[in-house]
Amino acid sequence: MDNNNKGTMYYLKKLIEGNGTLLALIGLAILVTTLAPSFFTPRNLTNLTRQTTIRGIIAVTMTMVILLAGIDLSVGSIVGLSAVTVTLLMQAGLGVWVSVILTILLCGVGIGLWNGFWIAKYDIHPFLITLGMMTIARGLAMVITDGSSVPVRNDLFGVIGGGYIPQVPSLIILGIALIGSIYAIIKANQKKKEFGTEVSKFDTIVNMVASTVGILFAAAVFGSYKGIPVPVAIFAVIIMIGVFILRNTKLGRAIYAIGGNEEASRLSGLNIFKVKMFVFTSNIVLASISGIILASRLNGANPNLGKMLELDVIASVAIGGTSFTGGYGRITGSIIGAFVIGILNNGMSLLGINTFYQYIVKGLIIIFAVWYDTVSSKE
Amino acid sequence: MSEVMLEMKDIIKDFPGVRALDHVNLKAYKGEVLALVGENGAGKSTLMKVLSGVHPASTHEGEIYIKGERKKFANTKEAESAGVAIIHQELNLIPGMSVAENIFLDRQYTNGPSINWGKLYNETEKVLARLNIYDIEPTDLIKDLTVGKQQMIEIAKALSLNAEILVLDEPTSALTDSEVDELFRVINELKEQGVCMVFISHKMEEIEQIADRVAVLRDGKSIGDITKIEDITLDGIITRMVGDEVDEMFPKEKFERGEKTLEVRDLEVDHPLREGEKKVKGVSFEAYKGEILGIAGLMGSGRTELVSGIFGAYPDDTHGEVYIRGDKVEINSPEEAVEHGIGLIPEDRKEIGLLLTRNVVDNVSAASLSKFSTMGVMNEQEERKNTREYVDQLSIKTPSIDANVATLSGGNQQKVVIGKWLTTDPDILILDEPTRGIDVGAKVEIHRLMNKLVEQGVTVIMISSELPEVLGMSDRVLVMCEGEAVATLDRAEATKEKVMEYASGNF
Repeated sequence: MDNNNKGTMYYLKKLIEGNGTLLALIGLAILVTTLAPSFFTPRNLTNLTRQTTIRGIIAVTMTMVILLAGIDLSVGSIVGLSAVTVTLLMQAGLGVWVSVILTILLCGVGIGLWNGFWIAKYDIHPFLITLGMMTIARGLAMVITDGSSVPVRNDLFGVIGGGYIPQVPSLIILGIALIGSIYAIIKANQKKKEFGTEVSKFDTIVNMVASTVGILFAAAVFGSYKGIPVPVAIFAVIIMIGVFILRNTKLGRAIYAIGGNEEASRLSGLNIFKVKMFVFTSNIVLASISGIILASRLNGANPNLGKMLELDVIASVAIGGTSFTGGYGRITGSIIGAFVIGILNNGMSLLGINTFYQYIVKGLIIIFAVWYDTVSSKE
Repeated sequence: MSEVMLEMKDIIKDFPGVRALDHVNLKAYKGEVLALVGENGAGKSTLMKVLSGVHPASTHEGEIYIKGERKKFANTKEAESAGVAIIHQELNLIPGMSVAENIFLDRQYTNGPSINWGKLYNETEKVLARLNIYDIEPTDLIKDLTVGKQQMIEIAKALSLNAEILVLDEPTSALTDSEVDELFRVINELKEQGVCMVFISHKMEEIEQIADRVAVLRDGKSIGDITKIEDITLDGIITRMVGDEVDEMFPKEKFERGEKTLEVRDLEVDHPLREGEKKVKGVSFEAYKGEILGIAGLMGSGRTELVSGIFGAYPDDTHGEVYIRGDKVEINSPEEAVEHGIGLIPEDRKEIGLLLTRNVVDNVSAASLSKFSTMGVMNEQEERKNTREYVDQLSIKTPSIDANVATLSGGNQQKVVIGKWLTTDPDILILDEPTRGIDVGAKVEIHRLMNKLVEQGVTVIMISSELPEVLGMSDRVLVMCEGEAVATLDRAEATKEKVMEYASGNF
């Protein structure tokens, strides 16, 4: 009953301040829909979500990288390298799962540890290490393919990026998710009360409404098309793991602490080396998974895949409000950011806007988002 | 008395919800040093911001007269051209540029499009000569100068702007004793030249040494009249600052000495940059349960390096043996030090003590993440409960435990750092300058807390540059001089003179 005496304006203000990026996303979606009605169809929205997956998956760990006041420029090249690696391994006659796991180990874990080692052990700025790796990985992709594309025909492999979970199981999964999220909110509140922490009714209602509307919307979209795309399901699981790590684990706390003040964290007994190794490695692992999904969706790969993707990923995180000086930000923001970029790409293509102009619009949106964030955080 | 340079009359300044200044009066004469004292939050900085135009004339009530002339500053530029300059605690110099370029940063002498270096250097030499400084070259880079010298450059910069009223905001807080002497020499020099100075400081001895008169602020009000320094005692000043008589600054309690908890043998810490040079040269000492070991010494004598070395902060540069309760231990990182039950509250709160982007809870838990987690998953409610307990116990003044620590006052921030280390349940707690830059009330609270810790069986080691604090709180005093432990004095034999003699190498 903490907020009984405050007016509607107060709540409206609170809602806007806390969810600026989300409201911008909704506004953008409405704008694009009025201009191009074909945008708001289950088919297009499903495609949009699937396209967003590629950059969204990496945005999860890129958020952690940037929370550490770091950056990773190599993810785009890793997407390309992983895409050609997995297809080449399959061409060489290895099975789908063996190829996928080998690719994740070689391109993901291997290169990730390499990046992490230089950054964590010698305290070199990640910009430089990952800039180097960006070139190396692209070069490797060219070398192993001799610069040409690698097609692949395999139905099982195609499912990873192009498959769907059928409609009925999809609806069941979403139903479980709905019940689960509401249960989680109630449970968290109970726990808070138990420990005497103040429970805000307003926040509880907003959270409940948001997750209900979100899940019902997803059910409407995926249910009336072909079901949940497999890559979107992978994406959802990765988001949940990422959010859990940042919010509920020791590791997550250490990431925020180190990003906020590295020396103070070290002197508090945190193991900076381990945390940096984990973050930079997992970022490359997720880039590698993204590359595999992309190769699967395209039924093949070419060494140029993922060019400039790193910038889209970094832009997603920036739009999502994570501070580039470290220590402040959220994964959910970055995911919304990834969708903002997705809607821009998709919407402008639907409207028949030339790609050249798309670049300019995207750039302006990024600058505007970061400006807004800086100004509003100063208040 | 000579000409009145500065007069502030009935200054009222309101911030949303608080009256920061309430009818404050201030008067300063040509060629005098006026000490402005008060606890943190008393309104000193706000008053100086009003004076220097940071808070424009339209945002406060009251009148400001410079040399008898009414002034309404709309911005800092106008105050500057009226001859008011402030030397801030944090210096505003560009490390990679030369002394001359910094002094004349926004008004370089030019010949057409190019800089007139000859004139620039000449003018710089002239300004430095006015301060009687001849060992700094105009071409020296700021980053190669000591903090004390850098401060001289700030003062020189202010003088080059023809400043006649100079505000020094805690100028000595980062200086070594010899640098303080040099600063005081310059202040006296400027006094002779008729500059009017407002000197803000927490250090009573300095005020006694350098100020002509003292003005006290408390809760945004002027307390008492501005008094000649000869006419008031230190206790008198403190009483005005805190309101009622502080029962005692150093409420020392004696406990029985217990087992030997920490023994350090021949500890050496290499200079991080200069090959072959050592910051700590073979120091050995012991610390016991039930007592406070004070570490005294001048700045740069290696005190901080000694304790940081023990704490594993520079594993590659530290050599020597450390025993905890008789067992030899290898501490190669702060992480391992924490595992061995050692806590270190560092000297530089903002730079290396706090997570300024995070809230009180995150800061208090930062050194004890394992304590609050099972299988890597944090138990948020447990940690909030712990934080709330320390907020109560240490009476940390914060709007809520979710408030960002950057919004708290210095004393409360320090208590947050202390809470962080108490959360680790340390056996040995090292406090490096625990009360620097915090107000008198909070100081006393921290001293009381140290007593309580000792009573609970914690071995306390305290570094302090304030001699009264070391002497008042320690059972034994280890004195360091140029990287060596030159003496360990018992409480009974530790006098101010003796400690100073050892610390300055005159024994």
